[in-house]
Amino acid sequence: MKPQLTLQTPLELPHQEISNYLNQLWISEDTDNSGANTFTLIVWQPAWLEQCLVQTGLLNGPITGNLSSEIIEVAKKFILDECLPHTTSLNSDELLNLLKKNLSNKDFEDFRGQFFESSISTLNPRRLITLAPTLKNNSEIKTFVSAYCPLSDSSGMQPICGDLVVIRGDSHSINQKGLKIIEELAINELPSWLWWNGSLDESPEIFDYFTNHGLRLIIDTALGSPNRCLKVLDYLRKSNKAINDLNWIRLKSWRESLAMIFDPPARRPILDHISDIDVDIAGEHMLQALFLISWISDKLEWTFVKVERDKEFMKIEFERKNGEKIYTSINPLPLGNPSIHLGQVIGLRLISKISEMQKNNTCVILGCESVECIRLEAGGMADMQLIEQVVPNSFSSSESDVSKLLGSSRGNTSPLFENTIKIALQIFNSFN
Amino acid sequence: MYSTLSNPLRLGLRQERVISPQCLVIFGASGDLTHRKLIPALFELFLQRRLPSEFAIVGCARRPWTDNEFREKMQIKLSEQISGNEKEWEHFSNYLFYESVDLQQSDHVVNLSKRLNEIDKTQATHGNRTFYLSVSPNFYSSGCKALKAAGLIDDPKKSRVVIEKPFGRDYYSAQKLNKIVQSCADESQIYRIDHYLGKETVQNILVLRFANTIFEPIWNRNYISSVQITSSETVGVEDRAGYYESSGALRDMLQNHLTQMLAVTAMEPPGKFEPEAIRNEKAKVLQATKLADENEPWKCCIRGQYVEGGNSLNRLKGYRQEDGVNLNSTTETYVATKVFVDNWRWQGVPFYLRTGKRLPKRLGEIVLTFKDVPVHLFESTIINPAPNQLILRIQPNEGATFKFEVKSPGSGMKSRPVEMEFSYDESFGEPSDEGYVRLLADAMLSDPTLFTRSDEVEAAWKLYTPLIELMDNSPWKLPIYNYESMTWGPPESDQLLSKDNIFWRRP
Repeated sequence: MKPQLTLQTPLELPHQEISNYLNQLWISEDTDNSGANTFTLIVWQPAWLEQCLVQTGLLNGPITGNLSSEIIEVAKKFILDECLPHTTSLNSDELLNLLKKNLSNKDFEDFRGQFFESSISTLNPRRLITLAPTLKNNSEIKTFVSAYCPLSDSSGMQPICGDLVVIRGDSHSINQKGLKIIEELAINELPSWLWWNGSLDESPEIFDYFTNHGLRLIIDTALGSPNRCLKVLDYLRKSNKAINDLNWIRLKSWRESLAMIFDPPARRPILDHISDIDVDIAGEHMLQALFLISWISDKLEWTFVKVERDKEFMKIEFERKNGEKIYTSINPLPLGNPSIHLGQVIGLRLISKISEMQKNNTCVILGCESVECIRLEAGGMADMQLIEQVVPNSFSSSESDVSKLLGSSRGNTSPLFENTIKIALQIFNSFN
Repeated sequence: MYSTLSNPLRLGLRQERVISPQCLVIFGASGDLTHRKLIPALFELFLQRRLPSEFAIVGCARRPWTDNEFREKMQIKLSEQISGNEKEWEHFSNYLFYESVDLQQSDHVVNLSKRLNEIDKTQATHGNRTFYLSVSPNFYSSGCKALKAAGLIDDPKKSRVVIEKPFGRDYYSAQKLNKIVQSCADESQIYRIDHYLGKETVQNILVLRFANTIFEPIWNRNYISSVQITSSETVGVEDRAGYYESSGALRDMLQNHLTQMLAVTAMEPPGKFEPEAIRNEKAKVLQATKLADENEPWKCCIRGQYVEGGNSLNRLKGYRQEDGVNLNSTTETYVATKVFVDNWRWQGVPFYLRTGKRLPKRLGEIVLTFKDVPVHLFESTIINPAPNQLILRIQPNEGATFKFEVKSPGSGMKSRPVEMEFSYDESFGEPSDEGYVRLLADAMLSDPTLFTRSDEVEAAWKLYTPLIELMDNSPWKLPIYNYESMTWGPPESDQLLSKDNIFWRRP
């Protein structure tokens, strides 16, 4: 379990009193410590799976908002017990709907907003606001508040403190009242981030509220239907809003590994003769693979020609400046033990045809495991010069990805991602 | 011949740390270092889009230039680098400002303070300031005092002072200078620069040692028989005679650059990759380092001075014939020394350090020679099997070479040495940044990892104190040997090693 941020249970207060309470809190404390001069982090924290598992009695409470290994294990066992397909995602509606059939009416302790990975707390957010929507409808808004002072590893450092607010209630009441509370809690002189730690399909009115309020957004396009995710990206891009997508960030080791292959100048000519790219993904969510292909095409200055989509694959054709065609495909593979992130890239094969003689051509294979490399090297790929590499899976949690982002980003959209989105949208729009 | 084009997939991929809004104040802005190293490094950072838009560079010197004059002068000096990047320079030059300042005059520093406040407002630099003392070492103390008196370095979180080498002339002066500087600013605000530490290949020593499992187990007295550290230059004293005459190779190169290379080569692994953890280990290893013979230090050091040389087409002057050099100068342009690191890891392993001007090649390298095999089973194609060597090339052709024995082709079982190569150029195909690019960015990011701490500087001076005392008090005991320009130093330097049956590597 992640460390608890506050030493004391947050105090339940009527929302009208929160601002006043927080002001008093900082005035009455040590005068040198008026709170960290950093940023506000607002987290949309539905934790639907955990709530369902606790409410059905499959998991003991309390609800913490953390996707622990215990939650994953229990959910996977439930999938097997209910004879759902092994490939069922932990975020799928199918799973959640089945769980919702057996919810109890008991109340469970809800500690969401109190547990954060130390990688986030050591960044000293000035204000952490957690929006904790409840499964039960008709839950009125409840607000909790506390100060916190993460201890630093370096001795002698004075702790830098922040405060923490939890707004709990059903989605409707959060939309009606919770958002107003957030407005009252805004610290205008500090930047504010919103981490939408849920599907982009849910509560669009709440999400839209945030997109229209100048916050720096952190989203995860692996959560939510590709259609909705791309619409969100399109809207944010057109309205010049900063976008930070964890699904793109998780692609980093693939982009880095592929770039690394072509660092030696002797290998650069291979890039001018790429004819085929095949990307394997776990599950059917094609967005991350689409990002990967779009990024490569942007960097190598290919022009998108056409796309063909089937239930089982997506084929995208590009053209090089000299008119040569490049054929790419995205192939969803059913995995028995899928990643908690939908549609993660698990393999990439790139073929470069420099001559008619097969042995002079090159096949680059990146696989997340040796098994995947073996799959991709089948079909006579070894007749070519084979460059293979295993790309280690990124096991970092979403919180760890978010903390890296908060620690290094200035809040704007990465230019690489911006260009990638443009091409991904161009491809996606041509079959919609 | 490899393509020099950038790897298109690499573009934009490198995630650099973000420099906060910042005002960099350069004292000594009319000097060589500013236009030769500092402004080019800052322009490079700008081209790499690593400078924040809320940024300013304020050049300070006694000359009564205006902002525009400063911009024009820098533009002329950097014309080669600007070529092809004219638009970028136009944008970058808007960050350049100039203030005429004599650090000895308090009203000048007060005026500077006012100007910086104005620039803070126009450039939105939020009072974050880095002061770079690129002035004569004589002004380091008074410069720091003046900054302190004007209240410019009162906030340890928002202000930093970068100090160029040489930091002191010997152990005692370095100690004294440290005391003065530390009375003006917190140690965490002081960045003593050694541009060798900014070199990619020097930092790579840490990665090579501590990111691989194969090197660390053999990186000790059980497997390594000796270490050679060389930094050689082909150029002579050029236009630096004024400074060099009072400095010499020991103070100019050995005490700082070579000793820092020794520290990163010999240090213990830090517990964490954090500035203080690394600097603690470097300080510890320097404190454990001693001259090979402290009682008779003249036996472990050779000094030299270049005399005429070169060929008929390119005749080179001797040091004493250079402009500004005393005809009877006893300043060394070459120094070689032998030291031991008295700790468990390195007990008994000699470290040979040499540096000089007008040597045949410009290079920096560290050579780790491994112990001989216990029994020679195979006859060698040369007289004896060559010992295994790991050669870390700091410059040029940055990379590493590992020398080992293999079977020589043929029906017999003779061995011969071969080399396994790693070259930055061949692996990455992109030039690494100049040391100042990295170090200026680090200072503005408040990252002191690659800067030397007060105890490191003092330990490095203390190490050479017996030699400095000899040079100052009994110079005849540490004579200057002549060497012909464009040769590898005086023959006496070979004897320093040949006594141990070792030879300098001829790179």
